[in-house]
Amino acid sequence: MATAANRLAIGVRAATVTLCIAVGAHASLAQAKTWTVKIAGMQFEPATVTVVRGDTVVWVNDDVVAHTATSSVAGGFDSHAIAPGGKWQYQAKAPGRYTYACTFHPTMQATLIVKEKP
Amino acid sequence: MNLKPVPKLALLTALAVFAFNAQAQSSAPTDPQIAAIVVTANQVDIDAGNLALKKGDSKDVKAFAQTMVRDHTGVNQAATDLVHKLNVTPEPNATSESLKKGGDDNLAKLKTLSGKAFDKAYVQHEVAYHEAVLAAIDKTLIPDAQNAELKALLVKVRPAFVAHLDHAKHLEMELNGNGG
Repeated sequence: MATAANRLAIGVRAATVTLCIAVGAHASLAQAKTWTVKIAGMQFEPATVTVVRGDTVVWVNDDVVAHTATSSVAGGFDSHAIAPGGKWQYQAKAPGRYTYACTFHPTMQATLIVKEKP
Repeated sequence: MNLKPVPKLALLTALAVFAFNAQAQSSAPTDPQIAAIVVTANQVDIDAGNLALKKGDSKDVKAFAQTMVRDHTGVNQAATDLVHKLNVTPEPNATSESLKKGGDDNLAKLKTLSGKAFDKAYVQHEVAYHEAVLAAIDKTLIPDAQNAELKALLVKVRPAFVAHLDHAKHLEMELNGNGG
């Protein structure tokens, strides 16, 4: 009986651990959001977007000309050309404040702020 | 005072005459005529941009030229798609012909230049060209366009011309600052 009780206890603990992992993963997935930056009229809208690490930002080009979303930090994110009607997405990984611009149109500038997970 | 003869006169004259005629005769351009003006205006700048890609001196001028070719090709694609959809045939007219001639004259002048002189002349014309086209868009093309989709397209492309003008003016200052 003692052996059976131990087995039962081990089984319960294992199930609990599995449940915790599952809940944790689920919570993490639920927290990750997707943000949209619209490119129209030669502007990024909104001009500043604040996200949490792990979130995804999608740039949607509604203009009739191609644009890029390119971090001013060397080696940072760079969409390269986003065709009219096209889009590009980026998962924010490192917290920080990133200014970015369209390399084709230097007057188009905006900011992406990535915060640490709360 | 820095008054110099500028190569923009032909283009400005074409658009000014156009605006004047439109008012004086109360004969606004038709949608097929507006379509021809839009396509020609874009093509003129694509041609100048392609020449600048070959003959331009500075990296910034070449990058600007590449953007002009890319953007005006994009605008023309949108315009061409729309006229096909609307089953409109662009109708050449005095303004589109003047724009074409102004563009050809500009190319002929630019072909005689090289180095920094080319860059300055190209960029100076780009400033004048975008100022003139913006004036035409605001005073004639948008107000006179009858079809709602054509009017909407003109409204949609206007910010690109504004951004190009700002970019060209910035380059002009940069070139004058660097080379006197």
